[in-house]
Amino acid sequence: MAFTDKTGGSGRVMTNPTSGGLSYDQHEEDSKIAQRQADKWLITGTAFMGTLVFGFIGLPIFLRGLYLQRKATQDGMSVRPIMVTLIGYLVILDAFINSIGWGLDLMANHSLLNRVFFTAWGNYADNGYFWEYNSLFIGGTSAPGEKGWEIACIFVVFPMRIAAGIAFLQMKRWGHQWLIVTCWMGVVIWVGYVVNITMYADIRFDGTILPVVGWWAFDIFYITPFLAIPYLHTVNREIFAD
Amino acid sequence: MSKNTTAADSEVDQELPPGTTPAFARMHKWLKRFIIVCLFGLVIEGAFTVPVLAVWYGAPTLSLTEICDEFMKVRWNDEKAECKYPHPIDGPPFGGPGEGTGRTTAKTEWGVQPKSNLDRIGFRELVRNKEEREAREKAKAQAGAK
Repeated sequence: MAFTDKTGGSGRVMTNPTSGGLSYDQHEEDSKIAQRQADKWLITGTAFMGTLVFGFIGLPIFLRGLYLQRKATQDGMSVRPIMVTLIGYLVILDAFINSIGWGLDLMANHSLLNRVFFTAWGNYADNGYFWEYNSLFIGGTSAPGEKGWEIACIFVVFPMRIAAGIAFLQMKRWGHQWLIVTCWMGVVIWVGYVVNITMYADIRFDGTILPVVGWWAFDIFYITPFLAIPYLHTVNREIFAD
Repeated sequence: MSKNTTAADSEVDQELPPGTTPAFARMHKWLKRFIIVCLFGLVIEGAFTVPVLAVWYGAPTLSLTEICDEFMKVRWNDEKAECKYPHPIDGPPFGGPGEGTGRTTAKTEWGVQPKSNLDRIGFRELVRNKEEREAREKAKAQAGAK
């Protein structure tokens, strides 16, 4: 990994200022251990949060990881910047949560849990997931156009974004580049998706508990990939290694 | 990182995280705040969505199978529509017609611009639906027995 030294300045990169001038190798080793320790908590937290329902278990674990990351930075270790950590894990989380919902609708649409909870969510904010449900030969949502978005996202965009997110967390140049690509794909998805549900609003929002506002209130928290775009375009690319 | 020449610039630079240049420091700070809000938002709504929906649609008075059953009756506007559980493995989508095949009771208005005409399901309305239907069936059975 090509982690950068927060302390900066020429001649200071080779030593760890808090450990009395240890060798570069020792500093690298200490930094790796600190990064791995933080990542263990961050990965575990993200895995729990990715299940949606166990997110309240995952959040404190994730925050502990963030704390360790911040502490390592303050201790002068050459670890990943907090912002890269936050964006990397959150875009992966976003892709996982979306994949769970759409994966259930596509591949487990006749399971009881899906027929109760996913269609209940549909009836709350998007009747595309309630109306004439399981009527298509493939099952799941029958809303016009919806299956196209599901398949394009589950099989193309989200796996690409997760792969890019992992490489981004490893501070690799291609991770940064592909995260830009897949986050812009997210913009295409959102614009196309919102236009599609608006065109078929008589199906999607008629008869829901909280039409339109309910959908936005739920989905607005999935804009992390949008927030990543300005960062990805303004961060100094030299911190990512080829 | 960019090489700053003046002492003042290096001081500012040293306080910034790697990759953040002074010109974009404020923007990165606000982006971080919004991202943290999104993180908490995702977790809070994720934790509450399932239990809140379950209670709204009748749990724990209704079991999951019963909620599924009531959904079918609302969806197809048909009191005879049932939720088959466990779902047969050779049933749709692997075999047999889809659940909507042959149904003519739904309120859907078909056309280029289809309309669902679904009614909004109120708080625990499915519980009332079930109780009223069972009361009707009981009264009918009693009337038939006399």
